[in-house]
Amino acid sequence: MNKSDLKLIIVIILIAIIILFMVAIFNNNSNKKALIYYDNDLVLTIDLTEKEKKEYFVDGYNGVVKIITEDGKIKVDEEESPLHLCSKQGFIDKTYETIVCLPNKIVIKIVSSKTNDLDTILR
Amino acid sequence: MAKKRKFKKGVIIKLFILLVIFVAIIFGVVFVIKKIGNMKFKEYTKTLNYMDTVIDIKLYSNNEKEANTIISEIEKIYKYYHELTDRYNAYEGINNVYTINHTSDITKMEINHDLYNILDYSINWYYKSNGLFNINIGKLTDLWKVYRDNQTGIPTNDELYRLSGLDIKHIVLYDDNKILTGNVNLDLGGIAKGYATEVVHYYLKSIGFERYLINAGGTVLAGINSDGGKYRVGLQDPDNASAILKDENKEIKLNVSNAIVTSSGGYERFYEYNGVRYHHIINPNTKMPANNMKSVTVITDNAMLGDALSTTLFLMSIEDGQKFIENFDNVEAIWYTNDNKVIKSDGIKKYE
Amino acid sequence: MEIKKISRIAMLLALSVVLNILESFMPLFNGIIPGFKLGLANIVILLVIYIYSFKDALLISLLRVFLVGILRTGLFSMSFFFSLGGAIISVIVMYLAKKFTKLSIIGVSIMGSISHTLGQIIVAIIFYNINMVYYMAWALILALPTGILVGYLTKEIKKTLDLSIKW
Repeated sequence: MNKSDLKLIIVIILIAIIILFMVAIFNNNSNKKALIYYDNDLVLTIDLTEKEKKEYFVDGYNGVVKIITEDGKIKVDEEESPLHLCSKQGFIDKTYETIVCLPNKIVIKIVSSKTNDLDTILR
Repeated sequence: MAKKRKFKKGVIIKLFILLVIFVAIIFGVVFVIKKIGNMKFKEYTKTLNYMDTVIDIKLYSNNEKEANTIISEIEKIYKYYHELTDRYNAYEGINNVYTINHTSDITKMEINHDLYNILDYSINWYYKSNGLFNINIGKLTDLWKVYRDNQTGIPTNDELYRLSGLDIKHIVLYDDNKILTGNVNLDLGGIAKGYATEVVHYYLKSIGFERYLINAGGTVLAGINSDGGKYRVGLQDPDNASAILKDENKEIKLNVSNAIVTSSGGYERFYEYNGVRYHHIINPNTKMPANNMKSVTVITDNAMLGDALSTTLFLMSIEDGQKFIENFDNVEAIWYTNDNKVIKSDGIKKYE
Repeated sequence: MEIKKISRIAMLLALSVVLNILESFMPLFNGIIPGFKLGLANIVILLVIYIYSFKDALLISLLRVFLVGILRTGLFSMSFFFSLGGAIISVIVMYLAKKFTKLSIIGVSIMGSISHTLGQIIVAIIFYNINMVYYMAWALILALPTGILVGYLTKEIKKTLDLSIKW
């Protein structure tokens, strides 16, 4: 083994460490998203990392469902249903929380690559 | 020709030692990588809408094709049992709960083996629960549903006592594949989800898949998580849809793996009238919604058992329930009383 | 090509196939990282690069991949293409490293080992769309001990052979 071999080994180790660091940093982005399902199909994905207030409209079974996101949280603002259960629920922001509009067949879930406190919630 | 030369002894020994050292290093590195590899399972999720509830499926796999196949198999199972136990729709080609309930002729109707098994299991549970777990009370749940949907008043005594044919003995099964119709009105709400989930459980076990978490509204089927460890399951506060149930101001978090957690409670499906809370789970003996407690949660290793048991416990007084679960192995329970107290069976400690 | 050389190359080819198959029997190296191997067959390729030429090394390497494909993994299967990608790239890289750098046989072997894994990762990403960026770092680190081992063995073997055989 000569000097240039040793240099090669050191360079390789450095490159490997840099890649590992980059992967670690990349994985640290919380990457929070809201997934909106209509009747078992994913119809819309909303990035929740933005702080600004935004409005979205999704077609539900009974009509248009208005969804608002703000500050990493999401809620159903207006919808057509007998009891308005899902618009009464208000904002959710945790991955184990779900908004369910059964009359409109709309389900909103939050996913995030960050590890969470709870994996699921029993209702 | 060059001159011949033998290997020197020293070189061979040196080579051997070097080989051993390298293999040892590689063993070490591979061990570390195996650990890291475990963490790199990708998450695959799907949300389904069957049996009047939202079913969340979460799998961890390093094989996308496998994960998608499993998800579609699980969806098939839930869809199949949804159609089999649906009270509101008929489906082509099968006799389901709807067709049974809507056949007024007294005939022997052919049903498939799976539906037969659910009915058979439920009838057994009727006797196990001393009549509290009754699937022949469709008429009663329908009556209460009308009032719950309108959120006004409650059924009159007259209405309740005019209901007939709630007796479990009216369900007569024949030959492993027939049921006598005309006098039954089935409601499998207390067993269908658990039964389907147990079929999913069996399927996952049979293919040896371990990393899953399925939440089928009131029934959580937990395998192991992406690290091979436990899942943390929170219980929803029956009074507040976005809060977690607390015990002495500490949120209840159950650490479970390879287990089934099932809850029965009012949750969103209740209404209040004159200050009294009316749940969707009806006691067949009193014909009134149960109000012994706000919710009950059981941890078991079988989803059918979990679903039937939690429904039964919800209909019992807490004291009776505490005695009742002693009949079962590997069953633990948490009761949430009407005055917001949490009562746990002894073995719950294992999961905290 | 003279007959002596043909027969020697055939022998070396047979040796590399045997080493390759032998290696695949070691359960430790199967299925943990796709394509991760000790790379004992690389001893032969490395020797040929030093003793004969780049062309001969490429020939043996390709024939080896095909033979192992026929004998064990199946021709044109996924692992066949992984091996093919790794084999071609590693021969090219080792030849370039030998010709244009001051690296010793051990350094060249490390380069071969790394390029072999990288070749497989490239094949995986391009043809099978498998995300293996994360594995890249570990593949690099793992290539060090295997590369050094293979390089050292080759060096010792070459030293002995140089004294006993006239090429």
